[in-house]
Amino acid sequence: MHLKYESQLREPLVNGNKTYHQVTEDIVRPIEAKPSRLWYVGFYIAVAVLLFGVYSIYRDVTYGIGQWNLNKTVGWGWDITNFVWWVGIGHAGTLISAILLLFRQGWRTGVNRAAEAMTIFAVMCAGQFPIWHMGRVWMAFFVLPYPNTRGPLWVNFNSPLLWDVFAISTYFTVSLLFWYSGLLPDLATVRDRAFTKLRKRLYGVASFGWNGSTKHWQRHESLSLVLAGLSTPLVLSVHTIVSFDFATSVIPGWHTTIFPPYFVAGAIFSGFAMVQTLMVIIRKVFEMEDYITLGHIEAMNKVIVLTGSIVGIAYLTELFMGWYSQNKFEGYTFWYSRAYLFSPYGWSYWGMMACNVLSPQIFWFRKMRRNLFVTFFMSIIVNIGMWFERFVIIVTSLYRDYLPSSWSVYYSPTIWEIGFYAGTFGLFFTCFFLFAKYFPVIAIAEIKYVLKTTGESYKDKMGHLEHVAPEVFAHSGHGHTTVENDGASHS
Amino acid sequence: MEQKKHWQSFGELNQSEAYNKDVKDEFKEELPFVSEESASFLGTKAPRRDFLKYLGFSTAAAAVAASCEMPVKKAIPFANKPEDIVPGISKYYATTYVQDGDVVSVLAKVRDGRPIKIEGNDLSPLTKGGTSARVQASVLDLYDTARLRFPTIEGKEVTFEAIDKAVASSLSGPVVIVTSTITSPSTKEAISQFLAKYPGSRHVTYDAISYSGILLANEATYGKKAIPSYHFENAKAIVSIGADFLGTWLSPIEFAKQYATGKKLDEKNPEMSKHIHFESVASLTGSNADEKYLHRPSETGAVVAALLSAVNGQGAAGISDAKLKAGIEKAAKMLAANKGAALVVAGSNDVNVQIAVNAINEAIGAGGKTIDWSATSNIRQGVDADFAKLVEDMNAGSVGSLFIHGANPAYSWFDADKFKAALKKVKTTVSFNSKLDETAELCKFVIPDHNYLESWGDAEATTGHYSFLQPTIYPLFKTRQWQDSLLKWAGNPSDYLAFLKTFWSAKLGGESGWNKALQDGVLNPSAGTLASASFNSSAVANAVTALGSGKKGGKIELVLYEKIGIGAGQGAANPWLQELPDPVTRATWDNYVIVSPALAKTLLDIDLNNGGQADSYEVNPPKKVVKVTVNGKSVELPALIIPGTHPDTIAIAVGYGRSEKLGKSVVGTGKNAFPFATLSGASVSFVNTDVTIVSTGEKYPVALTQTHSRYDTEQGNRTEVMKELTLAAYKENPTEIRDEREAELKPYGGLEKFESQGTIYPVYDRPGIKWGMSVDLNTCTGCAACVVACNAENNVSVVGKPEVLRGHEMHWLRIDRYFSGDMDNPNVVFQPLMCQHCDNAPCENVCPVAATNHSSEGLNQMTYNRCIGTRYCANNCPYKVRRFNWADYTGADSFPNNQEGIVNDVVLDMNDDLTRMVLNPDVTVRSRGVIEKCSFCVQRLQEAKLKAKKESRPMVDSDLKVACQQACPTNAINFGNANDKQSSISKTRKENPNRQFYVLEQLHVLPNVTYMAKVRNADEAHEAGKEKKGAEKKEEKKEHA
Repeated sequence: MHLKYESQLREPLVNGNKTYHQVTEDIVRPIEAKPSRLWYVGFYIAVAVLLFGVYSIYRDVTYGIGQWNLNKTVGWGWDITNFVWWVGIGHAGTLISAILLLFRQGWRTGVNRAAEAMTIFAVMCAGQFPIWHMGRVWMAFFVLPYPNTRGPLWVNFNSPLLWDVFAISTYFTVSLLFWYSGLLPDLATVRDRAFTKLRKRLYGVASFGWNGSTKHWQRHESLSLVLAGLSTPLVLSVHTIVSFDFATSVIPGWHTTIFPPYFVAGAIFSGFAMVQTLMVIIRKVFEMEDYITLGHIEAMNKVIVLTGSIVGIAYLTELFMGWYSQNKFEGYTFWYSRAYLFSPYGWSYWGMMACNVLSPQIFWFRKMRRNLFVTFFMSIIVNIGMWFERFVIIVTSLYRDYLPSSWSVYYSPTIWEIGFYAGTFGLFFTCFFLFAKYFPVIAIAEIKYVLKTTGESYKDKMGHLEHVAPEVFAHSGHGHTTVENDGASHS
Repeated sequence: MEQKKHWQSFGELNQSEAYNKDVKDEFKEELPFVSEESASFLGTKAPRRDFLKYLGFSTAAAAVAASCEMPVKKAIPFANKPEDIVPGISKYYATTYVQDGDVVSVLAKVRDGRPIKIEGNDLSPLTKGGTSARVQASVLDLYDTARLRFPTIEGKEVTFEAIDKAVASSLSGPVVIVTSTITSPSTKEAISQFLAKYPGSRHVTYDAISYSGILLANEATYGKKAIPSYHFENAKAIVSIGADFLGTWLSPIEFAKQYATGKKLDEKNPEMSKHIHFESVASLTGSNADEKYLHRPSETGAVVAALLSAVNGQGAAGISDAKLKAGIEKAAKMLAANKGAALVVAGSNDVNVQIAVNAINEAIGAGGKTIDWSATSNIRQGVDADFAKLVEDMNAGSVGSLFIHGANPAYSWFDADKFKAALKKVKTTVSFNSKLDETAELCKFVIPDHNYLESWGDAEATTGHYSFLQPTIYPLFKTRQWQDSLLKWAGNPSDYLAFLKTFWSAKLGGESGWNKALQDGVLNPSAGTLASASFNSSAVANAVTALGSGKKGGKIELVLYEKIGIGAGQGAANPWLQELPDPVTRATWDNYVIVSPALAKTLLDIDLNNGGQADSYEVNPPKKVVKVTVNGKSVELPALIIPGTHPDTIAIAVGYGRSEKLGKSVVGTGKNAFPFATLSGASVSFVNTDVTIVSTGEKYPVALTQTHSRYDTEQGNRTEVMKELTLAAYKENPTEIRDEREAELKPYGGLEKFESQGTIYPVYDRPGIKWGMSVDLNTCTGCAACVVACNAENNVSVVGKPEVLRGHEMHWLRIDRYFSGDMDNPNVVFQPLMCQHCDNAPCENVCPVAATNHSSEGLNQMTYNRCIGTRYCANNCPYKVRRFNWADYTGADSFPNNQEGIVNDVVLDMNDDLTRMVLNPDVTVRSRGVIEKCSFCVQRLQEAKLKAKKESRPMVDSDLKVACQQACPTNAINFGNANDKQSSISKTRKENPNRQFYVLEQLHVLPNVTYMAKVRNADEAHEAGKEKKGAEKKEEKKEHA
């Protein structure tokens, strides 16, 4: 009997018999080629939408928040809904790069670059909302604790909004550093292949003079680990703190201790969905099916079904507590304002339930997990559902809280509220189009790592083992090579 | 001592020629560069220094001229400071609010020469310092941009001399002077002088909402065409048949004050007056009643007749509705049991109804006890028949000249077209109205009158009670008191001031008496005894027969009513009053058709008991439009469903649909309902017993400030928000509310220790001053005077209808209205809600920049210039009292041109330089993007503390009254230092431990406003209690489920 080297448990992380050069070629090709017509169309649409967003904000700043349909009872609506939604989306990138790195999940390499970029852009989008939702945005710097000449005035450290300022800015900074430090070797690769002087110079500056020396690699690895260590708690803390915006309040439907884990799970849920949306497009448009394989898609779908079920449990727990607490205010919020389909906003609650809890259950089926169309469709559905979730939490809690006298008229957004939201899509996709054009959308260096231990070429290298008798193999000390995805341990 | 001479030089000592020349030239008078030789400026030889001076000057001048950013400020300092004006210190002048017949003694707060606030005059025994929403809002009328600014002849500006001449030349007899009710003795004197000059002339009093019914009934039964004084404070039993005496009927401030004395509950000796109300449409007074019964408007006569017969022991005959019949019998029993301490009033303008009411009052011994004939009320004197006769005369061409003051029949007469046509036949028409209203528009000559705050005058609201007017500001425009015109045209050489002074000096014993009277503002009679009048019962039998044979109503009947703010249209041009939510309907800026829930079901297809339909009706401002048709006249208005309205009755408020020349705030607000009134007999009837109503299928947005009206939900009755019970229940268990609170807080230390044990945080001492407020829901009638007072005091922005529709109104103080019990005839309770100044305020800890924080005196403070507008505080306020500046409502913003197209014309008008004169300089005008809310009138608190400090004594209650407290006609609001054992707030809280509660106490936000539960004087099966038991049962069921 002979050994057959074929992993039954894990499919290859890179398809096809790729050499290092091919990997570089495949990934850098879009950067060096002229963008396709599709890219231009997409980019200009994104910029146009962004400009509409800018105009919407211009109106909001010049004429006041009254440009939106918020009122005396519903003080936050689409603005903070969108903020939480974008921040949630911004969770996947760091989770993939940091937590999965620490858990040594090799499949992260195919998607981490784009996911991290997405995180950064999503956080940039998210940041717009708390800034521009301020009535006097020109005084926004008041939230920064710095020594000032305004007497003993200082920020209020009790306020969750201030914690947000710290949490989001820290998260953004660390994510940016992490992403950029990962980019350095790849930017150097692009620089080295550059065929114009300008290109060489620009990528030269961008790659901080990376020359691929062992010392550089060693420092790069240490930095990656340190940043991964720093980001890991941030993944959990950011959305925890965002959830405090609601959990520390007194409003029924907000005042809930379950919020931190529920928000984090929801964030990962929506973040992965967004990554799926983008990846399905990228792998198609940039012909990177070999690097972003069905295996990657499936892995992420598993995360989606897991986190979707977690939020589902959270929703049910809330409902249960709404009844079990026998608190009539909570009871009204959960059982009437939300769960009663025919209440004014009942549709949004059931929309959320359908999108977030019921529909992802389809991913229990492997066939569905590996179906690109279903994946793409579901990723959109999940993000719609997660938008509903935030809308439900914010609007259905506020519009009918304690005093029935203050219950609000029906809140629906104005064109400028929608415009602001659309504008952040414009910003997001403008950034993403530029990123896809000027940066390697897949981490070249990291793919090359995993190539050592996965894929056809690796299998080829292992071909000789098939001629070794099992007993000999078992005692030959080759055992460690079966640890196939342990890229870092080999460096 | 010898005079020593000091010298500085020999030249000085010797007085040399050279020295003298130098001295002379030391300060040259001529400019240095204009030498005598050359006349030309350019030809001079300018020395270097001068050159630098020119350079410096021209640079500076160019810089100044070039800085076009520099705003032009018009601040004109006093050249000589007037003796009695200290900038920043307010002066209070006693004067009198006079609006048509309404008379209220007030103090005008004048800051730096501008009246900015009206407060009640405590010296008046009638109003005792109380005011109403309209009185509070009247100061804004002074600065109305639509006021007429000069006299006109056919719309062209002329001088007073010219118009006097023109009027004199075209004046032809007979002259008729049409006025609304005149209470001023001196004006009456002036009128009679004028009438004497033009024989054949007469004076006709026209009241838009007349009380002819009462006047004529009293003439028939008491021989006096007058209205007696009512004394609700002496009545233990009150029955009102459609008289909205707390809102709009006759003298509501006076009546509310009296009524409240009977409603004030002493916890140790819980007794209250009892008020049974019969009405067709939910009114403010009906909402305050202990028991309320509904009847059709056409049944009013039958109800009164039945009550009369029941009081006489013959049972309530002729009433088919069992509930109503029981109510009448109950009312009769109650009246009979309280003989001599009972009062019946009716709002109907029907003479026969009022005769029957007089008979009832005689039967229950009201005369001399609750009705006083010794001092009659003068505030309504118009008899509709007189005016109808005048219109006929005018049409017949027998009126040569018509003077109009106050009255506006072209708008408010039921047959306005006929009046307008008649007016055309009068040769000389003169209007003295201060705005170009519907009637003034048609007059040839218009000589605008002063605003009352610019006027001299007097008023006698009730016989013997005089109140005086003195100007509080120099007339803003070229206006003239109309009495001046009368006197001048009567050939009296003195002006009205001199006339008035002479008139009163004679009565008051000279100048000093006159000055004293002016300073007090009032002149009161010595307290006399109440008197009855001899009753002539001969008219009663006929009246009762007439009532019995009254025509039956059709399927749907219509009631025209006055709104508290708008009245008969007097308040329509006042943005504060337009934006004031009607206490019962909570709607602003419009009139509408009030329909009952039952009618809504059949007519509008909206079932309020169907959760989904009720929700959709509530949360969507566009309401279904209905078309009401009477005798070929029809009007399309949105329909509002108001529980407590008779199923077959609809109601429309009068006072809307005014001429657009009255100001921005009447544009697009409502439609005129006066054409639906009819003349029946000698009086105009505001009831139409047969109308048709159809749904048009269209919708029209109504700006409601409260969408939901009940505090009980499927999930439980929110008694933490509102507590009400019946007197019987209270007597049974006085500590019911206290026990309820105790039970709620038991797990957290109970009532005593809740503050410390309800939290994991340390509890701080609160020494010094601790401001607190207490609101007695029993005496609060919901009249909304406090709301307008708050607007005026705190520069609260008017936002206009489009913004109210979007829930953007800025009111710091609102009066929540809740219904409970049976939806067809519910209990109503009003709850004034302002910032609760929580000691553990949820708004404070969530502000990222600490813009809202807590003072050491327990105030929850708002720092506007620190606020960045995240609105988190507003979200986290369980009372939803925080208001955000959604747009630049005040023009205080630094962004240019950001109001056009964003805020409506009313708001722009409120930012006019003229209107802005009403702003209180002590209160910051908030800019766009910041949160604002009730400050407990912190400017008044500071003033009071400073006053006490300057006098080196501790602050006491009498040092201050917050604006809402000051305005309240029933003293329902109590405010002061809760740490001071002697303060009335401490005493109130101590004396009322059983009724006291905090709204949403269980949240541990520790509010500083206490409410005292509403106790309704109902003795049998009390609905509030029943309902609570029902709710408990429901909860139990749920637990078992």
